[in-house]
Amino acid sequence: MSKLQLRGVRKAYGATVALRRGDMKLDRGEVHVLIGSNGSGKSTLCKIVAGSVRPDGGEVLIDGRSVEFSGPNDARKAGIGIFYQELSLAAHRTVAENICLAALPVSGGVFVDRAKVAETARRYADLFAEVAGTGFSLDATVESLRADQRQLVEIMKTLATEAPILIFDEPTSALDRAQVDCFFGILRRLKEEGRSIIFISHRMDEIFAIGDRVTVMRDGETIETDRIADTDHDAIIRRMVGEKGELAPPAEAANDAASGGGQVILKVEGFSGPGFSNIGFEVTEGEIVGFGGLHGQGQSAVLRALFGATPGNSGSVVLDGRSMSAARPRAAIREGFAYISGDRGRDGAIAGRPILENVTPIHFLKNRLALARPSHLRNKALPALEALKTKYAGLASSINSLSGGNQQKVIIARWLIDRPAVLLLDDPTKGIDLQTKTDLFALIRELAAEGMAIVLYSSEDAELLNNADRILVFNSGAIARELTGSDRTRYNLYHAAYEAA
Amino acid sequence: MTSVDQASRPASSGLATLVRQPLVVALALIAALLFLGETLSPGFASGEQILRLLIVAALMGIVAAGQNLVIIGGREGIDLSVGGVVSLSAIVAGNVMAGENGGILPAVAACIATGALFGFFNGFGVTFLRIPPLVMTLGMLGVLQGLLVVIRQGIPSGRAAPALSDFVTQSFLFSLPGIIWLWAAIGVFMAFLLRRTVFGYRIFAIGSNEHAAYMAGVPVKLMRISLFVLSGVFAAIAGICLLGYSGSSFANVGEQYMLPSIIAVVFGGTPLSGGKGGYTGTMAGAVLLVILQSILTTINIDDSGRQMVFGATLLVLMLFYGRGRSMRG
Repeated sequence: MSKLQLRGVRKAYGATVALRRGDMKLDRGEVHVLIGSNGSGKSTLCKIVAGSVRPDGGEVLIDGRSVEFSGPNDARKAGIGIFYQELSLAAHRTVAENICLAALPVSGGVFVDRAKVAETARRYADLFAEVAGTGFSLDATVESLRADQRQLVEIMKTLATEAPILIFDEPTSALDRAQVDCFFGILRRLKEEGRSIIFISHRMDEIFAIGDRVTVMRDGETIETDRIADTDHDAIIRRMVGEKGELAPPAEAANDAASGGGQVILKVEGFSGPGFSNIGFEVTEGEIVGFGGLHGQGQSAVLRALFGATPGNSGSVVLDGRSMSAARPRAAIREGFAYISGDRGRDGAIAGRPILENVTPIHFLKNRLALARPSHLRNKALPALEALKTKYAGLASSINSLSGGNQQKVIIARWLIDRPAVLLLDDPTKGIDLQTKTDLFALIRELAAEGMAIVLYSSEDAELLNNADRILVFNSGAIARELTGSDRTRYNLYHAAYEAA
Repeated sequence: MTSVDQASRPASSGLATLVRQPLVVALALIAALLFLGETLSPGFASGEQILRLLIVAALMGIVAAGQNLVIIGGREGIDLSVGGVVSLSAIVAGNVMAGENGGILPAVAACIATGALFGFFNGFGVTFLRIPPLVMTLGMLGVLQGLLVVIRQGIPSGRAAPALSDFVTQSFLFSLPGIIWLWAAIGVFMAFLLRRTVFGYRIFAIGSNEHAAYMAGVPVKLMRISLFVLSGVFAAIAGICLLGYSGSSFANVGEQYMLPSIIAVVFGGTPLSGGKGGYTGTMAGAVLLVILQSILTTINIDDSGRQMVFGATLLVLMLFYGRGRSMRG
């Protein structure tokens, strides 16, 4: 009998199906790896097991008995400890308190037993004493720690639950080699004690180093479970890619022209900054260069840095033959960059303001205008909105009155009044409808055909494969591989993305 | 929401829309309060009396203009130091002009420079030192109050030049005092600034989404400092006018303008959360507050009582409009 079993578990958020069918068995004393591309349902599955997400259907069994959790506390009592990908630490509290947060030792019914907290925390912190690095102590507040140290605290916190079932959702993303080795040593000991561990990682080498069995997920379904010993990299990647063959080859004519060595518009060399290092690439006139790979491997960071939105970058950026380094977006815009973020709420929408005010800021800046003449602005705004088939009542209506897709169109339109030389697209279709996506990519191809240089990062592989002339696959902040011509396949994309960095 | 919903909205509402317009509400309230005042004390709503109310409203409204800009600019924008700047400006003006008409221009220049300087300090603290505006300007108010005490011990309080007093209190054009014209001009200036200049568009942009504005190339820090400088300048102008109104300056003369300047803004339909609003409503709000103040005086409620009523008014306004919503819905 399995320690934990999932039978046909499913979960949808509105029209979006996050988990279509989750089936898996977790044995005692095993490390069970879950692998799948962005949005394949791994995290949803883990959250269901941990009780923080309620499934729409299906069954969760522990020791053969069906369980239903009304919340994370229920799951904890049933013996489940989870490491969340988005860390769940109290930033202003000490390491010791965070480690014991799940079950603070209490004396006399109300008072936190400080001695006991220190003692418990010490036990788990000592496991990582060799690799925790400078500045790490039980009394340090979490906010004062480095990213890798915070991740260690989250690991210690998970271990401190002493739960028979432990779930680790990408626990190693910030850790260095020695820290990972130390962590794996601990996992092996836990395994020998008979604990059951679910482990999510995108690093192929780690999966083979620690896993006993692997379950591949694709499009919200658990596809197949194999013993690690019986499988290899290629087999796993083939499962992740699935049967859906390659998509229609990208726009033919335009690409040939682009790859035919047009004039170089943007040339980046040895570009390093927070989250990426030694990035180098060129974009020629009319070319669409795609950034691929797993989420958060430095793609957004590079785009934001090029746009001057994040400080601390070094390297050479040459635009139209002019060497430049934008210290802030204002300078980058003047130099000819445009940046469109998928995070409209944070980076794009001037919330609650009329559409006209949302379309015009770039025009003001580029033309150094002081006066806002409504008739002039209307004449500029209308064609830009029209180019994207934007649906709106009037220029005076608030941007909040529009659907997400139309809001994004308004934000894109602001860049179309005075055309930039380089368009940086940072996952621009996040959370928008299919029609808008279609309109948007039609426009992007049109802009490329007119000679604009375009860099497209998308978390949806199909968007990259369908639109990019070349794809640079990012892995751990560096470009792992360049896919051109007929190499632009889903298989190659995954292969490069999941290779050890 | 589809475009059809949007298009049909204005047509369906009529009276409901009218009632929701802050300006309409304010004007109706002004009429009601005047009527109430006249009932309590015949002669309250006489032409002469209304003119006197308008002069006081202009003083308050000029202070509120700067307050309005800072509040629209968002990030918890507020300027609590305006009262101190008004007082300091009145003293600087009184001493520079020392009762001579020839001293008016240098006095105006000195006051505007003073207001701009303290506004700059506020803006610098808020943008570069990342001190919340409430704390920064409250601290600045403390500094100014201390400064006023020191000044008062060292130098005479100063007197208004006759021309300045005439400008504020006597008929200037079409039997209206000059300060009313000045206020009207400021009203036109503010409307133009907010609706027809890039600067105005950018104030709303940083007020509704500072980061998005930054990503769209708006010089956010420079903008925010400018708003505090403008607030200091408007307070300084009000200080000069106040000197003309009272003839001589005395310490803390401006303190009574801090709270009303905020209430007038909020009443006029500019939410404290920023990114929305305008000055026309604020002007109506200032008039309304002055009438309310006058009624309270008429029924023998002293200064402390008036302060309590004002404070309560602000709280009630907050309750009605909420911090995140404007009256415009």
